[in-house]
Amino acid sequence: MPLLEIRNLVVRYGEIEALRGITIAVEQGQVVTLLGANGAGKSTTLRAISGLEKPASGDILFDGHSIAGLGPEAIVRLGISHVPEGRRVFPGLTVKENIMLGASNRKVSASQISREADAMFDLFPDIRTFSNALGWTLSGGQLQMVAVARGLMAKPRLLLLDEPSLGLAPVIVQAVFRIISQIRKDTTVLLVEQNARMGLSVADHGFVLETGRIVLGGKPDELWGNEAIAAAYLGGHAKARA
Amino acid sequence: MDLVLQLLFTGIGIGAVYALVALGFVLIFRATNVVNFAQGEFSMVAAYLMVVFSVDLGWPYWLSFLIALAGMALLGVIFNLGVYYPLRHRTYLPVIIATIGASILLSNSVLAIYGPQPQVLQGWFDTPGIQLGPVYLDSQYLLIIAVTILLVLFNFWFFEKTLLGKKLQATSQDKEMASLLGISVSTMIMITFIYSAVLGGLAGILVAPVLFVSIQMGSTIALKAFAATIIGGFGDVTGAIIGGLALGVIETFGAAYISVPYKDGFAFLVLIAFLIFRPQGIFGERVAEKA
Ligand SMILES: Nc1ncnc2c1ncn2[C@@H]1O[C@H](COP(=O)(O)OP(=O)(O)O)[C@@H](O)[C@H]1O
Ligand SMILES: [Mg+2]
Repeated sequence: MPLLEIRNLVVRYGEIEALRGITIAVEQGQVVTLLGANGAGKSTTLRAISGLEKPASGDILFDGHSIAGLGPEAIVRLGISHVPEGRRVFPGLTVKENIMLGASNRKVSASQISREADAMFDLFPDIRTFSNALGWTLSGGQLQMVAVARGLMAKPRLLLLDEPSLGLAPVIVQAVFRIISQIRKDTTVLLVEQNARMGLSVADHGFVLETGRIVLGGKPDELWGNEAIAAAYLGGHAKARA
Repeated sequence: MDLVLQLLFTGIGIGAVYALVALGFVLIFRATNVVNFAQGEFSMVAAYLMVVFSVDLGWPYWLSFLIALAGMALLGVIFNLGVYYPLRHRTYLPVIIATIGASILLSNSVLAIYGPQPQVLQGWFDTPGIQLGPVYLDSQYLLIIAVTILLVLFNFWFFEKTLLGKKLQATSQDKEMASLLGISVSTMIMITFIYSAVLGGLAGILVAPVLFVSIQMGSTIALKAFAATIIGGFGDVTGAIIGGLALGVIETFGAAYISVPYKDGFAFLVLIAFLIFRPQGIFGERVAEKA
């Protein structure tokens, strides 16, 4: 049984049908990457999984149980942690406080949470020195590190990452992806990316989303191999290979 | 010089009341993005609750005080569920109108029960005050200042040092993100309303022996507190407290040296000056930087 299963999911924003019946499975222990152009519905998919958007029809199963229709607070308690688009680090709280609040889905003491947050800096050494800096003072790369660290504090069984590389310098993107390949040892990851090369480099499986529909799915090699798709969605690197 | 010290003491005392109500304004504004126009009525209702228990029923002052505060906590719950919660997904406008409606409902309900005649509430202490050198320290003003200092310290500890305080801050900064982390946004907002109602209530109970207990006391205090929040920089806790104290001192000195009948006018002159020359308030820049 897959850890996460999305069946014929439809999500609407008023008149706009952002997802037109998508079906995806994420197996335990995998990294699955969702690719697609701007506006394809990638973020909407993650928002539906974490309970921010209500499905119009279709179903979302986590561990075999339907979570469609649950609110975000209930879903994160089940073990799905969503690091949303734009990082959304609380600007008026410090880095450490932001990270500590990531454990709000679990019943643990404040002192235990503080110790866990300190330990989190071992995985993110670049932000350790900014522990007491307020969120609004950080750079894009630092914000992304804080956002992922905060997401991991939930001790999720499934981590949803929405465009972690967006707007970051290449060297920072590499640092972020190094962390993702470390996370994958214990956590299943559903990753959304426009950067196909980076996105597929860590993936076990990939899907390509186009205006609310899954148009292709497969192992990264198969996706690179599909010339027409590679040219349209995977950018110049694919063309060079083809 | 003696007069200056005396006026300073009185000004800080009355300013402390404005500061407490202003704090309630700011906390609700930050949690809901809405100015609660019934904040002043919280003070008025609490003062009348004191009249009910302490004067009408003759219960001990401390017991009446505790019951009145418990009543305010309950009012905070009802206010949250009845006024804010049903409209929480709407824009700010319907919510603001609902708070105005609630303020009218509260003052007219009290009017229906007690009539327009102002009521008198004794102060906490039997001794009216103490003479300290050239300055006469009114016992009620001393109490107001002491309670305000304690509350400001408590407020700092609560929001800066506790995890619950951090969750409340997170909720006021980004509700959707807070909910993604498993923070119960509706509980956080409920706590904010309870806390603000109790703060407003405390201010009303403390100031009641200095003023009369009247239907209008709420709107008078709320206007001053609102001016204090603008002076301090809307949305800033420290600003609200300093704005409140500054306003109390300014109007007291204005009344003494310039004109007593225009006492209330000074607050609004200062408000207008700030709106023209420094609309972001004393501490406004920090808010702008955060945005
Ligand atoms: N809050 C919203 N209201 C209305 N339409 C939206 C909203 N969010 C997204 N959309 C629309 O839904 C579609 C999918 O958006 P999104 O999931 O954000 O795409 P992606 O993350 O792949 O860029 C787009 O057409 C977008 O304009
Ligand atoms: Mg997106």
